[in-house]
Amino acid sequence: MSITQMKDFQTHNLLEVENLQMHFPVKGGFFRRTIGAVKAVDGVSFTIRKGETLGLVGESGCGKSTTGRSILRLLTPTGGKVIFENEDITNVNGKRLRDIRQDIQMVFQDPYASLNPMQMVGDIVSEPIHNYYKNKNKEELKTEVMDLLTRVGLPEEAYYKYAHEFSGGQRQRIGIARALALKPKLIIADEPVSALDVSVQSQVLNLLNELQDEFDLTYLFIAHDLSVVKHMSDRIGVMYLGNIVEVADKHSIYDNPMHPYTQALISAVPDASKMGEKRERIVLQGDVPSPENPPSGCPFHTRCPKALDRCSSIKPTLKEVKPGQHVACILYD
Amino acid sequence: MEVVHNKNSQTENSTTKPQKSMSPWAMARRKFMKNKLAMISLSYLIVLGILSFLAPYITTADISRVNIGDMSLAPSAEHWFGTDTSGRDVFTRLLYGGRVSLLVGISCTAIILFIGTLIGSVAGYFGGAVDSMLMRFTDFILNFPFLVFVIVLNAILFGIVSGVWVLIVVLSILGWGGVARLVRSKILSEKENEYILASISIGCKPGKIILKHLLPNVLTTVIVQATILFATMIVAESGLSYLGFGVPQEVPSWGNMLAASQQPEVLQNMPWIWVPPALVLILTILSINFIGEGIKEALNPKSYR
Repeated sequence: MSITQMKDFQTHNLLEVENLQMHFPVKGGFFRRTIGAVKAVDGVSFTIRKGETLGLVGESGCGKSTTGRSILRLLTPTGGKVIFENEDITNVNGKRLRDIRQDIQMVFQDPYASLNPMQMVGDIVSEPIHNYYKNKNKEELKTEVMDLLTRVGLPEEAYYKYAHEFSGGQRQRIGIARALALKPKLIIADEPVSALDVSVQSQVLNLLNELQDEFDLTYLFIAHDLSVVKHMSDRIGVMYLGNIVEVADKHSIYDNPMHPYTQALISAVPDASKMGEKRERIVLQGDVPSPENPPSGCPFHTRCPKALDRCSSIKPTLKEVKPGQHVACILYD
Repeated sequence: MEVVHNKNSQTENSTTKPQKSMSPWAMARRKFMKNKLAMISLSYLIVLGILSFLAPYITTADISRVNIGDMSLAPSAEHWFGTDTSGRDVFTRLLYGGRVSLLVGISCTAIILFIGTLIGSVAGYFGGAVDSMLMRFTDFILNFPFLVFVIVLNAILFGIVSGVWVLIVVLSILGWGGVARLVRSKILSEKENEYILASISIGCKPGKIILKHLLPNVLTTVIVQATILFATMIVAESGLSYLGFGVPQEVPSWGNMLAASQQPEVLQNMPWIWVPPALVLILTILSINFIGEGIKEALNPKSYR
């Protein structure tokens, strides 16, 4: 990539997330007072450039999905900023929010729960268009939807069928067609293949890749499967307990992970090309702490094999340690 | 790419080109039609409805005029079910009574379903303060002592609204609480599905989400509840009329006809006066329950007959 292209990329940040916080109040005691908060997302920052795929990995409950939903404003963040196309959309409401959602769409995790069982597939896919373009010609709409269905690899007859007549992978294709219907700029894919068979996973991933080129899409790809993320992403953000601990392009993450948590994650990926060789496997001790009561300082210090004394008092921030590789760890200060 | 067909569509002629798949409703209807007991019950109710509706064309006897000459006659060719203590034809009154009882049942059910679904779905979908406010109001309605309020409201509304409609309004005002709670609880669980999040993200407005996405998916429960409600309302009408707080006494209804059996002599010696309304009432309630059961089974995807 030439330097001019790099510059061009940098000026075209499609999405910027700054210090995003999503704390869910915990209520209890008399009169349901707020007695605490689950800090599902606690200060997440990243940017997505136009046309790229940012992968977000982390174990269950680390706040990946919550981050995705906060960006689409399905949840209202309790702090921080979401900037989409240079507009702060953190607190927009009503009509403007609805307009913005035309440009950001989501592919959901559960292909069974994310389609209304009472609607025909044709209606499911045409509904977004119908919502924004009320006066669209019915015949035109139908052809458009049929084209979309064919594009995601479904037969045209699917238009007249109901979701329960399809398999998991096909249902996920319907969900993708629905997300595409409005020709969005950003698609948040919230673990789109984690509920599918391994054999079907790759088909859906390839479809997503093809569509990215064809429709000029930008993805925020959320997953917990490291090989899936590696296949899909240009850059990868690693999350732990509501924080991003490392962001870098995928080669840096896989070949030269810097944060101790990333190192442990990567060491857990089986590598078929190194069969027989003895690998160094970093096994983390203990469990993920509760996000309701996260550890002081670095969220990872309770399990970190390289923890120092001051890790429990200083909360590290993301710093550019190598060009393009941001790490939140005091080892690199 | 393999499309999973359901069993029914395969048995039909599979040679036809892109045919519409059966909607979940169509499949339920099919299953319901196969349920014999429910179909018999349904036909009974339809016949009863038609007979009652066409009562003025079927019998010509005067329903309200007291006829001293024909008092308490046993069944005969002229009076099929005999006459009551005021000399009125029991068969004629039975048909006209069916009109009133069914009218009360249907109208109450419709009004209650409307109010209950509206309040329940709004409370369930929006949650928070809206939910608390609406649900406290619902609790308030549910806590009314039923009989006392029927009597009081009857007295207040008397003269403002005419005849049976007093009772319909009263029963509806007091009856929607249960439906509202039911719908709310169903919506609360249904709205956690990802397709509701999806519908928000594709730009659906709250009204559309409730009407197009949530209600069709909770409707099954509501429909079953409606049949129970229908039966309950007919029983309530009869019970109140029997006690003298229901439909005005000059209007024939099954409950009013049963009230005649309060006289020991009628109860002991003139079964033709009270047995027909009691029998029709029992059969009606039974068949409504069978239909409800049939609908429940038809809407349950796990049951196969």
